[in-house]
Amino acid sequence: MALLKIKNLRVEFGSFPAVDGIDLTLEAGELLGIVGESGSGKSVAMLAVMGLIEAPGKVSADLLEFQGMDLLRLTPKQRRQLVGRDIAMVFQDAQTSLNPSYTVGYQIEESLRAHLGLRGAAARQRMLELLDLVEIPDAASRASAYPHQLSGGMNQRVMIAMAIACSPKLLIADEPTTALDVTIQAQIMDLLLRLQREQGMGLVMITHDLAVVAEMAQRVAVMYAGQVVETGAVPGLFDAPRHPYTEALLAAIPEHSRGARRLRALPGIVPGAQDRPSGCLLAPRCAYAQAQCLSSRPAVSDGVRCFFPLAPGSAHD
Amino acid sequence: MSTATEAMPDYPRPFKAFWQGFAANRGALAALLLFALIATAALLAPWLSPYDPIEQFRDHMLTAPAWAAGGSRQFLLGTDELGRDMLSRLLHGGRVSLGIGLASVLLSLLPGVMLGLLAAFHQQWLSPAIMRVMDILLALPGLLLAICVITILGPGLVNTVIAIAIGALPGYTRLTRAAALAEIGKDYVTASRIAGAGSLRLMFITVLPNCMAPLIVNASLSFSTAILETAGLGFLGLGVQAPLPEWGTMLSAARDYIERAPWVITLPGLTILASVLAINLMGDGLRDALDPKLKKIS
Amino acid sequence: MTDKPLLEARDLARHYRVSQGWFKPKASVKALNGVSFTLQRRQTLAVVGESGCGKSTLARQLTLIEPPSSGALLLQGVDAAVADPAQLKVLRQQVQMVFQNPYASLNPRASIETTLGEPLLINTRLTKAERRERIEALLALVGLRSEHLRRYPHMFSGGQRQRIAIARAMIMNPAIVVADEPVSALDVSIQAQILNLFMDLQDEFGCSYVFISHNLSVVEHMADDLMVMYLGAAVEYGSKKQIFARPLHPYTRALISATPALRPVDRRERIRIIGELPSPLNPPSGCAFHKRCPLAVPRCAVETPMLRMIDQRQVACHQVDQ
Repeated sequence: MALLKIKNLRVEFGSFPAVDGIDLTLEAGELLGIVGESGSGKSVAMLAVMGLIEAPGKVSADLLEFQGMDLLRLTPKQRRQLVGRDIAMVFQDAQTSLNPSYTVGYQIEESLRAHLGLRGAAARQRMLELLDLVEIPDAASRASAYPHQLSGGMNQRVMIAMAIACSPKLLIADEPTTALDVTIQAQIMDLLLRLQREQGMGLVMITHDLAVVAEMAQRVAVMYAGQVVETGAVPGLFDAPRHPYTEALLAAIPEHSRGARRLRALPGIVPGAQDRPSGCLLAPRCAYAQAQCLSSRPAVSDGVRCFFPLAPGSAHD
Repeated sequence: MSTATEAMPDYPRPFKAFWQGFAANRGALAALLLFALIATAALLAPWLSPYDPIEQFRDHMLTAPAWAAGGSRQFLLGTDELGRDMLSRLLHGGRVSLGIGLASVLLSLLPGVMLGLLAAFHQQWLSPAIMRVMDILLALPGLLLAICVITILGPGLVNTVIAIAIGALPGYTRLTRAAALAEIGKDYVTASRIAGAGSLRLMFITVLPNCMAPLIVNASLSFSTAILETAGLGFLGLGVQAPLPEWGTMLSAARDYIERAPWVITLPGLTILASVLAINLMGDGLRDALDPKLKKIS
Repeated sequence: MTDKPLLEARDLARHYRVSQGWFKPKASVKALNGVSFTLQRRQTLAVVGESGCGKSTLARQLTLIEPPSSGALLLQGVDAAVADPAQLKVLRQQVQMVFQNPYASLNPRASIETTLGEPLLINTRLTKAERRERIEALLALVGLRSEHLRRYPHMFSGGQRQRIAIARAMIMNPAIVVADEPVSALDVSIQAQILNLFMDLQDEFGCSYVFISHNLSVVEHMADDLMVMYLGAAVEYGSKKQIFARPLHPYTRALISATPALRPVDRRERIRIIGELPSPLNPPSGCAFHKRCPLAVPRCAVETPMLRMIDQRQVACHQVDQ
């Protein structure tokens, strides 16, 4: 049974579809990377899975299941028991995601108290264990520090400790390292990978950095303007992209233009609320667009959402 | 050259965007209309009042308003204890009260903004000096401070304005300084500095326009405070002197007649209430319209 | 053939005094601790480092916002460290800056025309029509249209705002543009557009760039020379080709290896450095990096390494020989 099954998830704010019908599956213990730029809907989609979308946002799906449980039909009590315990999330900016008025030790213990019912010495013991698990040196004294006294990397480790406190089955990490220096980023990545292996968690890694996904993930989903345009295995998807957007993203990375003076940039910008195309969402910017692309929307077939997917080796050079 | 081709949605100009935000608040809109009514009536007082406000009609002292028993059409809102027409006194009194309010706001806003900007831009020694002086002024509650100033300068219209202005000055200074300090750290100020802008340009052209929102809200709210303080001083006999009509002095003079002729005290009280209420609601509306954090996600 | 450099920094240092409460003496933070480099015409120098390395302080020094605590900053022969305000005003026109956050670097209450016209208004005697002409020319160069002039920053996307910021930096035709992480806040595809814009403007105007970034793949594309900084000092400085081909300093190697790479062939063996950046209020003795360095020996804790010329670039490390 798949850990997470999503079919035709839509999240709408008024008439604007931030997430426009996406399908995703995640098996237990698998690492899925979701890649996209701003406006792709990747964060909103995962917030919808967690049940964190408030009005005026509207969430709907044909199927939204976690371990067979229908996430759309949860009572608030069931949701409280599930979220933070079996499904956990780590956010981008740890400094603002942690409560500045409480020590980090207290905040971890609060999570333990709320979900596992631990108190007093037992809670403190487990909290220190968790801090060790996320490789925070000198855990006992760090536990009584406030978030603003710790560095970005430390705070992110605290966030991770809070997230894995209840040994979740699924961990969603939303741009967990974007705000960090590259050496700290490498440390956090290693930590997440190690924890995922040890705890057997499913991990969804949301990022805009293709290289991070290439190094860490087993499968990847590429999102554009609220839709999933391509899914595939790593490294196959990067070696032979089939959707023009994936190809354009790869081409825009500086490594792929080594020696050249100019980078291969995709012209234009992501459509906003006002100028959403009626045809394929990428068509206005796509180098391969044809008449059919401008008038009708492609459906997903064989993991690609394109009328004319690129054949391997036919990449535009 | 690489281009950024895309359609741009039609955004309204800043004032129109502000007006849409303001008008969405029904209470604020109603308050604006009410205040406009009061202000217009006060402005046109010489033409609207049936009589001279200081003229005494000895034969018609303490006449009731037209709708009450014993009233007459001659004096629509009745007369006071010296036979002066209430309507005319209220209209002219509005001129005085609103005029004092406006003058005191200007007299405290302009120096307050200057001092606040100077303090924000000269953190080393000017800022502590200015802020300590403001702290001294803040040590006394507003009305008490006004009374002190009046005691030194003597009562009267002009001195009332000065007294109220001095009381409001520290508020503007602090507000401007805080808002300016928040902006100074931002990149666009550094960018102007790198472009060669000197202190004056940075203070007034770069930073000040971005501090206007809290200042505008505070100015509108302190307008109503000024009216109340004027009334308070008038009530104590320290503000505007007789026979100049002013809502607070009218209240004070009518203290003895509460039971016999309640309209002499209720009518000025109601006008004070209406003005202050209108200005406060307007100020709330302004704050909601100008504060980006409260803008609805459309 | 290298003629006189456009910009030369000699032992540039900047210290800040930080109060530590009433009863302790003021501490000194060495944000910049003796940095030297040169910049030629039409060249790009990339400054690489993580937070706390001093690159923002360096940016403020180069754009003449703050005077250095010691050292010399020679701009076309004139030492900005000892220049008087009149000289500084003239020098300032030669060095402009593009900031990291496109959402904070434009005045929210000024129209684009006002923002772009400000440098011209302050520094030149052009008439309003002449200013307008120049503004429109720059707008076209960065890929925007004249109808955008009357609009305000919040009506533009991040990439467009960065284009406007670049136009503002270029409007005085400066010799040097300091770009402080100009593409870090942008998406990959927009990043590529903006980097191309930088290259095109360099070709058109012949300006030089000091390009500050923590993203090594961007740096590898943009830079001619590269300076790696750690805790206020340069640890490696030389041509980009040399350093990327064979990085010598352990910190440089750690940075390069920590950068995720798309293709397995580009991935280097990870040099793990442990721990976090030390506090600048309490820097380690000797080599600032020794507590986290995998190659550290006792000498590193005692003696601060000096920059030496090894394999055609400068390295500050005791453990590197050839």
